Amino acid sequence: MASTAAVPFWRSAGMTYITYSNICANLVRNCLKEPYKSEAINREKVHFSVSKWTDGKPEKPTIRSDTPE
Amino acid sequence: MAMAVARRESRRLMPLVNPSVSIRSNLISPNQEQVGLGVRSISTQIVRNRMKSVKNIQKITKAMKMVAASKLRAIQVRAENSRGLWQPFTALLGDTPSVAVKKNVIVTVSSDKGLCGGINSTSVKISRALHKVNAGPDAESKYVILGEKGKAQLIRDSKKDIVLTLTELQKNFLNYTQISVIADDILKNVEFDALRIVFNKFQSVVSFLPTTATVLSPEIVERESEAGGKIGDLDSYEIEGGETKSEVLQNLTEFQFSCVMFNAVLENACSEQGARMSAMDSSSRNAGDMLDKLTLAYNRTRQASITTELSEIISGAAALEG
Repeated sequence: MASTAAVPFWRSAGMTYITYSNICANLVRNCLKEPYKSEAINREKVHFSVSKWTDGKPEKPTIRSDTPE
Repeated sequence: MAMAVARRESRRLMPLVNPSVSIRSNLISPNQEQVGLGVRSISTQIVRNRMKSVKNIQKITKAMKMVAASKLRAIQVRAENSRGLWQPFTALLGDTPSVAVKKNVIVTVSSDKGLCGGINSTSVKISRALHKVNAGPDAESKYVILGEKGKAQLIRDSKKDIVLTLTELQKNFLNYTQISVIADDILKNVEFDALRIVFNKFQSVVSFLPTTATVLSPEIVERESEAGGKIGDLDSYEIEGGETKSEVLQNLTEFQFSCVMFNAVLENACSEQGARMSAMDSSSRNAGDMLDKLTLAYNRTRQASITTELSEIISGAAALEG
């Protein structure tokens, strides 16, 4: 019943279910053996740029990326 | 003496030769009209240059088509596999595009790059229509835009309604982690009662269905399930663990959104490549047609100048003999 008890914890830490499940997925990926491990980790790379809009004007876009430029 | 006669003769013939020359040069370029007196041949340099540039453009479009075709093949399999992600959700919660709620968020999925036919304008058009349909005195709709091209089109008339734009999605290969981080960002930054995701569903290389997928917020799902209908069956499922129904629904909604987004982005990327392929195919065909026409005009002009020269020589010789 560990998972049931965990629900309020990650939720109160400000995580959504998506973040939570991503962390879990990453843990599982780290459990793989070597050739598959780096392959699986390299496959899941995040890169995009996001900008918020206020009153019809875009703010400066922030780039979210886990690959160093 | 004889030479002087010939010169006079040829000057008399000039008006007969010249009009045809100027008409033909009109076809090619207006500034060819100042052909000097006595210059018999027309310069075909301009046509030759044009032919060269058309040929180069054709080469480029052909190469782009090849690139799009190979990218399409890779992404098509993934898009088709990702359909299995949202289908269980539709089976469980149903798809309710007609639900009327206060806060609508329209997620427009478009591409970053152009030259791919009309897929971006279709998804923008559908988004605008959804915006109009869901507009009301106490209802509001906001846009979240994925991709540079959709942004460029929606900036023109709906600046005020944009809350978030996301670009540069396809720098790395599209993967679930990336899309889920995007979905997470959207969920954290907008308040919604219903998320309506607009994308082009890939059907075949030449046909893309503009599609909307609706993700409702947990409160709305609860309200709808009490009202009955397809969502009403939710109570008949056995839920493991000690969570309350609203907690389960919230988790479910978040996960559903990321799954639907993943499928939407993949389908749209697939449609983009397909559309680019057919657009590049038709443009290389058009370039070929243009090249044919130019070649014809070029050869005809060349032939005409040869004929003119020949007739001038012959008439000159005839004048000398007579």
